[in-house]
Amino acid sequence: MPTDLPYAADAEVSLSYDELQVLRTQYEREVEQSHVTIQTKFNFAWGLVKSPFRDHQVEGVRLLQEIYRAEPTRRRECLYYLALGHYKMGNYEEAKKFNSLLMEKEPTNLQAQSLQTLIEKKVTHEGYIGMAIVGGVAALGALVAASIIRRATRK
Amino acid sequence: MASSSQTATQPINVKLLLIGNSSVGKSSLLLRFSDEQWVPEDEASATIGVDFRVHKMDVDGKKVKLSIWDTAGQERFRTITSSYYRGAHGVILVYDVANRESFDALPRWYGELETYVNPKVVKMVVGNKVDKEYSRQVTYSEGQHFATRMGSLFFEASAKTAVGVADAFKEVVRRIVAEPELVGGEKPKTGRPAPAAKATGGAAAKNQTRTDMPGTINLDDGEENVEGGGCAC
Repeated sequence: MPTDLPYAADAEVSLSYDELQVLRTQYEREVEQSHVTIQTKFNFAWGLVKSPFRDHQVEGVRLLQEIYRAEPTRRRECLYYLALGHYKMGNYEEAKKFNSLLMEKEPTNLQAQSLQTLIEKKVTHEGYIGMAIVGGVAALGALVAASIIRRATRK
Repeated sequence: MASSSQTATQPINVKLLLIGNSSVGKSSLLLRFSDEQWVPEDEASATIGVDFRVHKMDVDGKKVKLSIWDTAGQERFRTITSSYYRGAHGVILVYDVANRESFDALPRWYGELETYVNPKVVKMVVGNKVDKEYSRQVTYSEGQHFATRMGSLFFEASAKTAVGVADAFKEVVRRIVAEPELVGGEKPKTGRPAPAAKATGGAAAKNQTRTDMPGTINLDDGEENVEGGGCAC
């Protein structure tokens, strides 16, 4: 019995308000003390990226980018969550870029493979919608043109 | 669980967690169980946060939809993974029979469970990598005794050779399904029960500690005092 793949657990489930608040409080406290540990920052960024709110996701991605630059040992997970954040925001090109960087380093990473499939599915899906819109407009155009021609020829 | 006619058609949702030290083979056990595959150790990558699989199976004539949450063992993900404990019906604690340290860390993992999950959840200890018999550091009976002492089931397995893997998962699910209080009325959704953490009523007290969870971590200091845990063998 096969599994339902692909899946990115962290893309689907958000934290509760209280849970995110705990991470935020800890982060803000450390900011006040002007000593923010990477761990606290990462936890908060993770909570933000998982959030359904776009401004949270944007903030999460920003923090992850800072961690990525500052802390080489955290790069693999930053890449993953950066990809995830952009995926959730609908920036599929960015998502693909970060996820590919991770896959370059870890070609057998199943989570990255799964996320890759998810991204591609969205891209194709949106592609279809795009085509449908373009197709619809074209069809409408043809109808209008036809009626104009008909009217013109009737005269 | 009410053995109504419903159970025949509607699958029972079961949430299962895999926890344990880094590199003991949690993801490998899952991959073996769900996809019958195996990735060599040098090609396997450490889980980032959590991974997730859904697996459908029949247990004692009942349809079960099993959601398996495979958590990262690395310390740095401790906060992240603990947020997935809620609502679990069963937990598999994994150690590596060829790595003493991973076995000695089990009491600490039990400590996490005490904080985050319902005490009724079905627990199972799995000693993985029995294919490394030549470098074994934890005997079968040691593992067995420890599990018994912790009121848990026990299996030895190898994700590499597939020995014991399916049996372990099946057994833990069988026990969960047989426990009416666990999978009974509440129609467990695998996700979190909405942001109603402040809800009143029976669950409130428990939820309180659970929502505090990410704060308790401050992983840097939090872990030092666990040393004493050890294995009281």
